[in-house]
Amino acid sequence: MSASKPYGLLAEFDKPADVMHAAEEVRDAGYKVWDVHTPYPIHGMDEAMGLKNSKVGWFSFIGGVTGYTSGMLLIWWTNAVDYKILIGGKPMFSPFGAFPPSYELTILFGAFGALLGMLFLNRLPRLNHPLLKHDRFKLVTHDKYFIVIETADPKYSPKETRELLEKLGSKRIELVEE
Amino acid sequence: MASHTTTHTEAPLDMSTWRKVPTKLVIAGIVLTVLGAGASLMIKPEHAEHAIPVLKQFGFSYLTAYVFCLSFMLGGLFLTLLHHLFDASWSVPTRRITEALASLAGPMAIAFLPIMGLALFAEESNPYKWMTHAGHENHAVHAKGALMTKAGFVVVSLFCLGVWWLLANRLRYWSVKQDENGSAECTKKMRAWSCGGIWLFAITLTIAIIMWVKALHVEFFSTMFGVQYFAGTAWVTIGTTYLIALILKRQGPLQGFAREKTFYFLGSLLFAFTVFWAYITFSQYFIIWNANIPEETFFFLWREQGSWFGLGVLLIFGHFFIPFLALLRIDLKLKVWWMAPIIAWAWVMHYLDVTYNVMPVLRPFGFMPQLMDLGILLLLVGLYVIYFVKSLNAHPVMPQKDPRIAEALDMYVPPASSKLAGAKH
Repeated sequence: MSASKPYGLLAEFDKPADVMHAAEEVRDAGYKVWDVHTPYPIHGMDEAMGLKNSKVGWFSFIGGVTGYTSGMLLIWWTNAVDYKILIGGKPMFSPFGAFPPSYELTILFGAFGALLGMLFLNRLPRLNHPLLKHDRFKLVTHDKYFIVIETADPKYSPKETRELLEKLGSKRIELVEE
Repeated sequence: MASHTTTHTEAPLDMSTWRKVPTKLVIAGIVLTVLGAGASLMIKPEHAEHAIPVLKQFGFSYLTAYVFCLSFMLGGLFLTLLHHLFDASWSVPTRRITEALASLAGPMAIAFLPIMGLALFAEESNPYKWMTHAGHENHAVHAKGALMTKAGFVVVSLFCLGVWWLLANRLRYWSVKQDENGSAECTKKMRAWSCGGIWLFAITLTIAIIMWVKALHVEFFSTMFGVQYFAGTAWVTIGTTYLIALILKRQGPLQGFAREKTFYFLGSLLFAFTVFWAYITFSQYFIIWNANIPEETFFFLWREQGSWFGLGVLLIFGHFFIPFLALLRIDLKLKVWWMAPIIAWAWVMHYLDVTYNVMPVLRPFGFMPQLMDLGILLLLVGLYVIYFVKSLNAHPVMPQKDPRIAEALDMYVPPASSKLAGAKH
């Protein structure tokens, strides 16, 4: 086993308020590639981390538009062009009759868009993550709060980043390897 | 958060220049109504054959404006009932606004008198044809005979108006009482009234709108008619509540109480009801289109004549697509400069929606807005606003001792038992 590449600095906190204030400071220090891990969702953490609104909505929107369009086209092509079916003297194709199935497809494709978009943006599924090797990190599902600043961050420096996290009140800072 | 904190330091909004607006609306309304009536009286006798009698025009203009104004009262009542039914905490800051809107039930009952008078006593100018014609000429009318009588009209109208007044009055009574004694008993009373009230609300709204609007086409059948009106009603009232809460926040009374989540939730509800209205309105059309039975399709055939078709298309885009797309984004639901125009737009769209249901009976060949339409609308809206502001000012705008205030403000208050335990030490 050769020496592994460092993944990032993991800082442990005892209280939600501590990790929240620390997150605000890390945000203000200008870090970009970092994350906060907590046992439960903490209200206001999005703002403390400076996170913007999720982009998943765009995937649902595009999925929905695709669903609606393909539903309309499918019904128009099959009923009015390829194999004409006359029902009750109504037009071969009418947007009213075609609306309910197209609407269902809008919802279905919208949901697909949301799910796949979420997986894509989260880079899921993946089989392993460097943090999972770390023993202390298991406490993230119990009563500890973590901030991890990755080495991939342009502002990352082994010394200064560690000093920042120490200053923010973390009792335990460790280097996680990939 | 930055924009949120800056609003706290803003100077209170000065509404004093707006104080006379409702009175001006009333005056303008009276002037326009008189002008409109005068104009139609001056039509030369040789054209009078095709002219619509003044009183008939008045009846339809009044009915449209009345049904439009009624929306805010019913919407206010609905949101108040909903608040208690869900035991919601976020809507505590807007509760008094919706209560004050609902408290217009009394004045709205008085404002119904002209419609009642025309329905019972007018002959040629009666908006409801079935009142003056024997209803046996076709089966559809005959089958509705039990309800469609003068007595039936009076009983249904009085019952609906009475139920709304009773609900609004009781909810208001216990709400104000809680300001004094802070008792949880009041909340329980309001909840009990809401549990029964929501059923009564749904039934009365439906039969009222069937009696007053749908019966203009007495031969027509639609199970969606009441819900369609309800969807628009709730939609426009949620928007209005948003705007009133915003003004009250800027003015001071709701400063610190009406918060980001209050407006975000109201914005989301507005979005939801935009979709709900479209769903119901489309379903009504679709079911009738699909069944293709003459007893039902005539309703929409009338509304495809002349410029009514254009108004129908305008409603599809203006009442649904534009607000739908405009309200999609999360962040825009909190922007005043974005939401205020949408809400003003919603008022116009709801008025046109009511017009679309009422007016083709009077003028089947096209949408022709009359001076009197605008005059009576301004008159009723002006009176409505005057009474609403009075009603809102009569009591503190923020419920004083609501048990859910702390929750509404996201504050943690230890349970009473632990406080007692702490006091013993």
